[in-house]
Amino acid sequence: MRSMHASQVAHKLSIRHLSKCFRDLEVLSDISVDVSEGEFVGIVGPSGCGKTTFLRIVDGLESADDGEIRIDGRVTTKPGPDRAFVFQNDSLFPWRNVWRNATMGLEIQGRLRSHTRKRVRGLLELVGLGGFERFYPRQLSGGMRQRLNLARALAVNPEVLLMDEPFAALDAQTREIMQTELLRIWEATRATVLFITHQIDEAVYLSDRVLVFSRRPGKIQEDIRIELPRPREFKIKRSAEFTAYVARIWTLIENAVRESVMEDRLVSSSSERPESGT
Amino acid sequence: MAVTARISPQAPARKKKMRRPRGLTRAAYTWGSVITGLAAWQLFGMYVIRNSLFLATPSQSFVSMAKLWSTGTLQNAIVVSGEEFIVGFLIASVAGIIIGLFTATFDRVSLVLSPWVSGLYATPIIAVAPLLILWFGVGIWSKIAVVISLVIFPMIISTEAGIRHTDQQLVEAARSFGATQMQIFTKVALPSALPLILAGLRLGVGRGLIGVVVGELAGARAGIGYLINEASQVFNMPQLFAGVIVLAAAGIFLTAGFERLERVLVPWKSDA
Repeated sequence: MRSMHASQVAHKLSIRHLSKCFRDLEVLSDISVDVSEGEFVGIVGPSGCGKTTFLRIVDGLESADDGEIRIDGRVTTKPGPDRAFVFQNDSLFPWRNVWRNATMGLEIQGRLRSHTRKRVRGLLELVGLGGFERFYPRQLSGGMRQRLNLARALAVNPEVLLMDEPFAALDAQTREIMQTELLRIWEATRATVLFITHQIDEAVYLSDRVLVFSRRPGKIQEDIRIELPRPREFKIKRSAEFTAYVARIWTLIENAVRESVMEDRLVSSSSERPESGT
Repeated sequence: MAVTARISPQAPARKKKMRRPRGLTRAAYTWGSVITGLAAWQLFGMYVIRNSLFLATPSQSFVSMAKLWSTGTLQNAIVVSGEEFIVGFLIASVAGIIIGLFTATFDRVSLVLSPWVSGLYATPIIAVAPLLILWFGVGIWSKIAVVISLVIFPMIISTEAGIRHTDQQLVEAARSFGATQMQIFTKVALPSALPLILAGLRLGVGRGLIGVVVGELAGARAGIGYLINEASQVFNMPQLFAGVIVLAAAGIFLTAGFERLERVLVPWKSDA
């Protein structure tokens, strides 16, 4: 097991006093968090708590109103080759085959060379898509598409991997398999990961730490270290420790979720809803 | 999908759908339809409307066609009309695609041009064809002008729609890799607009052919439209239908050609 004392290493990712409003709606309020190199951080919270907005700001797809993000000490505000984003919907390019999708990021960044090509070939093998290079996305199953999505993000060799509910669109069984797959791939690449999910057990199973976001405006309510041994096997999900973590996190967000469900019910019939799905 | 099975036991999911006819069967459907239609027309002309002043049968039309061919009139008409069509269609599609790219990319250009584009698209330009003859003379350029005026507007509209309907999620995916505006345009917007641009070209074929004929009807010295006009004035129905058949055949083959082009350029949409 790796040592995880933050004090030993300089932080890979350092976020200070991040705030964001959409018009007069406060979405994120004063978020500060440090993430060490190679750490897998899960993010959970009731819907509409600004998790997605948070991740998008870290990637540079959206700008913050206040605060700063540092990667290896450098302030960033725009998307860069040091980060990669895995979207909830696989967002593959339908006119590009598996290979050309996987190399899209490198192509955009002008880094498509023989050694990076080799890397992509290895990644496609790693995610189980070796031999499918010439298939188009529409010929792939949901699980395969999402694995390609992951390979495309990993292809640029990001230092920080941002994943926004990447398995939400998959069925329950595929999802469980993908979790194990993701862990296997992550053990091999050891990227720093921020992983948003609605599923608490998914967060506990994957993460070194789980950040629990509070309801709007989003704040980090709790920062829970998951002290489960790695590499984790699937059966760990049935252990008492695991269940205890899940129960603890669920208690933290239960009320917030309940309130937001009630609120959604009230609003859903009437006018517009700001930024749904965050 | 035998190939898949060989590579991996886990074959990609394929949606179940109605079995589609393939290869020779498809051709049989198409040609069967054409032949049945011609046969019905022939029988109708032989037994129902027997006066060839009202309806010429396919056989009469083909005889007329052969006659026109032997004198060289038909070939000449095809060459003249073909030239008008090709030049007009090329100019209209290149210009239409370029203008469409501009209107889709620059809001101001779109605001300035859109009333003209939608207005002229809906205008029966056919009605002003005689005017174009007056302006450009009875030669080839007046017909080219008519073709352009009919083809360019749907080209602009479909190109613009193609660019505008670019999936914003794909744009974001490119943006998150740090793509520049130019890269987003060339790597995301343009390829995602390609199917609609090609569909616009395919639809333009029919309008272009109409343009040729209308231009020639309004005033010409040669061409398929001229043959049709000449025939209708002396009630030579077989020749009139001969001209119509040539046009229909051109429409069928050009459209099929564009469909083939779509399969080559848009392979991700077809069943391969």
